[in-house]
Amino acid sequence: MKTKRKKLIAWFDERIPLRDLVEFMGKKYVPVHRGSVWYYFGGVSLFLFIIQVVTGILLLLYYKGSEQLAWESIQFIMSKVQFGWLIRSVHSWAANLFILSVFIHMFSVFFERSYRKPREITWLTGMLMLFLAMGFGFSGYLLPWNELAFFATKVGTDIAGVLPVIGKPVMIFLRGGEDVTGATLSRFFGFHVAVFPGLFTVLLGIHLFLVQRQGMSEPLGGENSSDRGVMPFFPNFMLRDLLLWLIVLNVLAILAVFFPWELGRKADAFASAPAGIRPEWYFLFMFQTLKFFPPQVLVVDGEVLGILLFGLAGLLWMFVPFWDRKSSRGESNRTVIYVGIFVVIYIIVFTILGWVL
Amino acid sequence: MRNFRVIRTVALLASSACMCITVAMAGDQCLVCHEALGGKVPSLYKNDVHRQKGITCAGCHGGDATSDDMDKAMDKKGGFAGVPKGDAISQACARCHSDAERMKAFGSSLPLRQWENLQASVHGNLSGVGAEHTVQCITCHDAHGIVRVSNPSSPVYPLNVVRKCTGCHANAGFMRTYNPSLAVDQLEKYRTSVHGMRNAGGDPKVAECASCHGSHSILRPGDVKSRVYPENIPATCAGCHGNVAYMAEYKIPTDQFDKYAKSVHGVALLQKHDAGAPACNSCHGNHGAAPPGVESISNVCGTCHALNAELFAGSPHKKAFAEQKLPACETCHGNHEISPASKDLLGVSPDAVCARCHALDKNEKGYALAQVMRRMVDSLETMEAESKGLVDEAEQKGMEIGEAKFKLRDVRQARLETRTIVHSFDESKFRPVVGKGLTIAVSVSDEARGVIHEFFFRRLGLGVSTLIITTVGICLLVIIRRIDRKQKKNAET
Repeated sequence: MKTKRKKLIAWFDERIPLRDLVEFMGKKYVPVHRGSVWYYFGGVSLFLFIIQVVTGILLLLYYKGSEQLAWESIQFIMSKVQFGWLIRSVHSWAANLFILSVFIHMFSVFFERSYRKPREITWLTGMLMLFLAMGFGFSGYLLPWNELAFFATKVGTDIAGVLPVIGKPVMIFLRGGEDVTGATLSRFFGFHVAVFPGLFTVLLGIHLFLVQRQGMSEPLGGENSSDRGVMPFFPNFMLRDLLLWLIVLNVLAILAVFFPWELGRKADAFASAPAGIRPEWYFLFMFQTLKFFPPQVLVVDGEVLGILLFGLAGLLWMFVPFWDRKSSRGESNRTVIYVGIFVVIYIIVFTILGWVL
Repeated sequence: MRNFRVIRTVALLASSACMCITVAMAGDQCLVCHEALGGKVPSLYKNDVHRQKGITCAGCHGGDATSDDMDKAMDKKGGFAGVPKGDAISQACARCHSDAERMKAFGSSLPLRQWENLQASVHGNLSGVGAEHTVQCITCHDAHGIVRVSNPSSPVYPLNVVRKCTGCHANAGFMRTYNPSLAVDQLEKYRTSVHGMRNAGGDPKVAECASCHGSHSILRPGDVKSRVYPENIPATCAGCHGNVAYMAEYKIPTDQFDKYAKSVHGVALLQKHDAGAPACNSCHGNHGAAPPGVESISNVCGTCHALNAELFAGSPHKKAFAEQKLPACETCHGNHEISPASKDLLGVSPDAVCARCHALDKNEKGYALAQVMRRMVDSLETMEAESKGLVDEAEQKGMEIGEAKFKLRDVRQARLETRTIVHSFDESKFRPVVGKGLTIAVSVSDEARGVIHEFFFRRLGLGVSTLIITTVGICLLVIIRRIDRKQKKNAET
């Protein structure tokens, strides 16, 4: 048996030099410490992205991105296409888990301050991918062309429209006109299946290349450092990753079977807005904040101020490797930790408030 | 010539003496002089209800009615207004009729604010020049010689009001100015109605224009506050027809409103506010209101239920009903208390209407047909209920079943169609409709069963895949442990 396996490996190795790759991966080591578990969320995010790509391609075989046919085509997928219900539900659930996983990955990197020199570009590409993932979510939400998505997109694009100077043109660009119509659906479909995946693939390539090139970051200071040694990336870390992927796959299957993603009622531009319009959960903390903002703050419109503050906060967060100089020097920086804790608590509290209120 | 002057002087002196005597007696110098001058007005005013209440000409025209000096009596500085024009006419009336204190002083129990109500009514339109209202108080009540409405000589007395209203409303030329689309044949129709005939015969109790439309507050029929707005018509008619004491002498039932309110038509109009549902006038007519005759009932109902009427006209029942002088629709459905159509009307059970004429030993052909038709309707209803139950079950399980649910409407539609086609009383026409419904119901049930099966298949599939994933996971775990142990051992050696 062993001889046969060796012969098979040798057959492949003769044609494709696999041993070199295995040797390369075998030389890669993953630090083992108290926070090692967070390393897996990068892999889980990658796995969920792959699922999104595969299920997305399968959905594309039947989905029709037009105002008249979008809802009907999803209904067809859900009821007539073999395993269509599974593919669509997995796509929708995986999208949400992907964003959750990306958020966890981002915060783990932040709290470990793994963004510090020399990994600034890895952090930047990661942040850009996070924004793109939210863009994927926002554009994909409209594609079934159901009532909730229609009105939520209307509200979402309205928010973009309140920005001074660029707001209106941005809103018209997003909607393909003054209102959310079939034109909006067409361009959201285009963003979702062509523009965003293209950009994401480039950024993911750079991100993975840098991770491979620079290796895993080790924690700051002595207390968390690799006192328990290192673990070979291949096969130890990779097999563990694989095990986690299998668990995630099973969770997805359970969610798809027990909680199939609802289609809702077809959007009707002339119908009154249904109760309970709210964006996807990952936008909820921003949405809720804007609702709490007073209509006027001094001379500035409350909503405009809120959006500008979120924009500013996002930029500060994105460029943390450049202003957190202490971490780059290998020193502890409590301010950054406190800011991070505040942001996590803020997001959780406002997301809950968004659901409850 | 001289003689004539003498005669004239004597005559004037004599008339002045008479006037003085009259003024002294009546206290209204206007009437004294104007009576002497001739014309209809003074004699009309003598019988006017206002004069009886002590109101002099000055009450409307202003001036000093107690002075026998014409210059003083008709002095504009003294408030003399002359003959009022336009809105000033009605304003003169409203000075008392809209003033509760004044009306109380006259011991009047008349409603107040008629002028204001008139302005808010359909007659409150401005005239062509736009400076005044088209209709003033005197348009209907006349100016001098106004008497109580209950006085037969009043132009708005029930027997006269029709003539008063149609003075304008039957005048096509006049009506064109204000409402060209409004019919002008109301009087002609009214005269053919039971109300109109009795009114012409001198019965002041029957309905005339104001009985239904109101008097001062007449609104367009499309106005929800109008007494003749579809939803208000039954109550308007019942104002008289539901009044037992009022209707006693006519010896006709007074329970029509109560019956109608419970009927399918009454529920639709009065409870569901469906303005398209028939009110009293839809069947009886409005201006030409009369009970439909035996011959005309199917035509009346057929105005809305056109297909039913057409099918009935081609059915064997048409001839049979005509021979027995039975009204077409009413025989089975009743008149005012028409209950919603249901399968219970059909068949040979004691409650079914067919059983009233058909029995095993009487008109047995119809008996057999009624039995067959009822069975078919029952089976369609059972199949519909079953398919709906399956669709509901699939939906409750969270499955996508929108298409089957949509098709379920066609089953219901077929069931409703049976209610129409039944009026043909022809099995060859009835069976295909039931068959269509049954075919769709079977396909919906099959689809729903398939979806429910799929629901359980998904759970089974999940169980199997979870088992496979778990096995692979355990194997991976074993491999990881083995590798870890091997590497540890190598490191130790």
